[in-house]
Amino acid sequence: MNKAAAYLPGSEIQRVQSGAVWVGISGFSLCLLGAYWNRVQFFHSYLFAFLFWTGIALGCLAIMMLHHLTAGAWGMVIRRLLESGSKTLALMAFLFVPLIFGLRSIYSWTQPIQLPSQQLEYLNIPFFIARAALYFLIWLWIVYLLGRWSQEQERGEGSRLLRKMRLLSGPGLVLYGLTASFAAIDWIMSLEPHWYSTIFGLLVIGGQVLSAMAFVIVALVLLAARQPLVGIVQPRHFHDLGKLLLAFVMIWAYLAFSQLLIIWSGNLTEEIPWYLHRWQGGWLWIGILLIVFHFALPFFLLLSRDLKRSGKTLAILAMFLLLMRAMDLFWLVVPGFSPERFRIHWMDVAASIGVGGLWLAFFIWQLKKRSLLPVGDPQLPPALERTHE
Amino acid sequence: MDGPITPQAAERRRPPVIQPGQTYATVTDKISSIVLVRPTTPGWLAGFLVSFALVMLLFYAIAYLLVAGVGIWGVNIPVGWGFAIVNFVWWIGIGHAGTLISAILLLLNQQWRTSINRFAEAMTLFAVACAGLFPLLHLGRPWFFYWLLPYPNAMGVWPQFRSPLVWDVFAVTTYFTVSLIFWFVGLIPDLATLRDRAKKRSSRILYGILAMGWRGSALHWHRYQTAYLLLAGLATPLVVSVHTVVSFDFAVGILPGWHSTIFPPYFVAGAIYSGFAMVLTLAIPLRAVYGLEGFITMRHLENMAKVMLATGWIVAYGYVMENFMAWYSGNTYEGFTAWNRIAGPYGPAYWALILCNVLLPQLLWLKRVRTSVPALFVLALVINVGMWLERFVIVITSLHRDFLPSSWGMYSPTRWDWATLFGSIGLFVALLFLFIRFLPMISIFEMRELVSESPAGD
Repeated sequence: MNKAAAYLPGSEIQRVQSGAVWVGISGFSLCLLGAYWNRVQFFHSYLFAFLFWTGIALGCLAIMMLHHLTAGAWGMVIRRLLESGSKTLALMAFLFVPLIFGLRSIYSWTQPIQLPSQQLEYLNIPFFIARAALYFLIWLWIVYLLGRWSQEQERGEGSRLLRKMRLLSGPGLVLYGLTASFAAIDWIMSLEPHWYSTIFGLLVIGGQVLSAMAFVIVALVLLAARQPLVGIVQPRHFHDLGKLLLAFVMIWAYLAFSQLLIIWSGNLTEEIPWYLHRWQGGWLWIGILLIVFHFALPFFLLLSRDLKRSGKTLAILAMFLLLMRAMDLFWLVVPGFSPERFRIHWMDVAASIGVGGLWLAFFIWQLKKRSLLPVGDPQLPPALERTHE
Repeated sequence: MDGPITPQAAERRRPPVIQPGQTYATVTDKISSIVLVRPTTPGWLAGFLVSFALVMLLFYAIAYLLVAGVGIWGVNIPVGWGFAIVNFVWWIGIGHAGTLISAILLLLNQQWRTSINRFAEAMTLFAVACAGLFPLLHLGRPWFFYWLLPYPNAMGVWPQFRSPLVWDVFAVTTYFTVSLIFWFVGLIPDLATLRDRAKKRSSRILYGILAMGWRGSALHWHRYQTAYLLLAGLATPLVVSVHTVVSFDFAVGILPGWHSTIFPPYFVAGAIYSGFAMVLTLAIPLRAVYGLEGFITMRHLENMAKVMLATGWIVAYGYVMENFMAWYSGNTYEGFTAWNRIAGPYGPAYWALILCNVLLPQLLWLKRVRTSVPALFVLALVINVGMWLERFVIVITSLHRDFLPSSWGMYSPTRWDWATLFGSIGLFVALLFLFIRFLPMISIFEMRELVSESPAGD
């Protein structure tokens, strides 16, 4: 038990949390002020902020289940970060509520427009809310069970609980894949209700996992430089996390390219408008920046072994990738409101910072409650062993 | 991802990748004796003869095809792509597991790949060879196959570079070449072992030529390891790229049922799914007949079962998304195609594929099934059939209902279609029979490495 106490985060983290709360509240207040003048813009900005931070939380959940299934040392050092990250889904469920009041400002299908009858069966306010509730219920249920077992691990019986977590993670990943895909269809794809793409769910999932990995790397590097983790996280851990980051960058690029090539070559009136909306009026530049900075640059940098093994350089790149993730999500979401005309509103930034502040505060609140390493897990000692390389 | 970072303490909890009690000598003796000492058994001979008879059937079918033309097959407008494309996609998919095991699992330091990589690579080569036959035969005039390649010619004709069919030519030839080199380079140290242990002069000369002067010096090993890792790096993107290009053959067109953005990842997952099913189909009888249970352990079989479960779910996800979008989009043609697959004249094939690819493999969630050899063997066969049916459903149902009802048609394979399919299976099996008779089916030197690293081996 004293081992668990030895890995409790330092007092510094308290200050960061209070700071995050204040940033969150100021961001929110600014947005509320903005909402007074421009209600519609507020909801557009809020949706973007909500999607970005929910994406990180969901990505944490997915990586955590992947780790329970594969049991690598890389996952042991980020386990608590993943747990705390996925627990923020409770906050995001709460922050979904304001969206309910803005659905009419956000989704064109809430207005009487010409839509096929099937879509009206699927895209209507009651069903939309019911589905969102179902997604959050499923996610929170998985998060709750895995969190409880992880807590019980500290009271002994590590291996039995390990088995339980593994047994839940398999079906859990299946459930996550399906719910996250349909959430992507509901929340993002339906912004342009005439458009459809079968890969879209996977594309959004790929983005979520990449965002979460980048976030977790930044957090780990910050924590690893301070007590109690000084000297515990080793270059080989960063190396493995860096490899995974590279893999997720490549998966994202693969999925994005597949969708683009197939829709571009088909050039069908049902599909191509979605790209045309993102092809003109300044959006094209964002697309080109994404190719260069979301794929090419990180891809080539991450090939370097030295860069991956040094926590500092890896964290800088991960931070940059997190920004690129925001840009990619912006490019997916905002042209739905403003096709063929690039625009960014101050509330987009304020809402992201506002939601982000609260999210981070909630994350730290969860993180500081427990030791920074899963001390009850029998896999921890081998994962921290010093190996000669 | 556990290999490099989970030290041996964690490794000991699991079933071993190599049975305790094996030493350098037992490994070398056991594997090399299958090739050098063990006489040709009646069982081998019978199996080889049956598969060779099928190869003769294939040659007969091809000869008649060359004389009479593709009209002997069931293809006709509107179904211009029949068994040839179905079989091509099926075979090329099967090859993917070999490359995944040999390249990606090597880079991930997964030690359990060692005993299955050699014959999985051989399987890749033979599967790609079978796959390559079909588009060539489907050309109609296969002797002009070189027109597919871009070269300056007197006719001033170039291939259409925007066509994924041309990308396929490059993808498949690259795949075959890299797989062949990778396999051969991996064989060199073992060929030298065979050369040194062979009793007959003729085998010594043959294996000696193939071993390319391998002496096992430190320098040789150093260069060997560099080359092998580089080749693994080269082969890795091929696992994804080849089947992605195959999926583009369908998705880049605008036919409902083919033009779907999920196709690339869903085809790649399907390829790995069917490939692992084929590895199991081959590994289970091989380890029983040649007594290799000490090398291909339950842990291998269980790991492969898990890979099948995971990739099977990606494939199932593909079916869900295709059907959902067909409904959600409200697109008449998409909706009709999806409904026609489910309830049209080829409905039974669709439901059989759902049974084989989605429903039955759910048994793999149970550890009892994953560790039961007969159950795994049956499931692997079921998945092989299911993945063939999937390609059949994709190719045929999208074509047989044209946009104009007056152009609708049905496709039924002729006996020549079946003869070519079974003939290609015969070719595949016959090549495998020759492989296990003349080359070590498990990498001897990599198994020796495992012996030195595993605590049980000392």
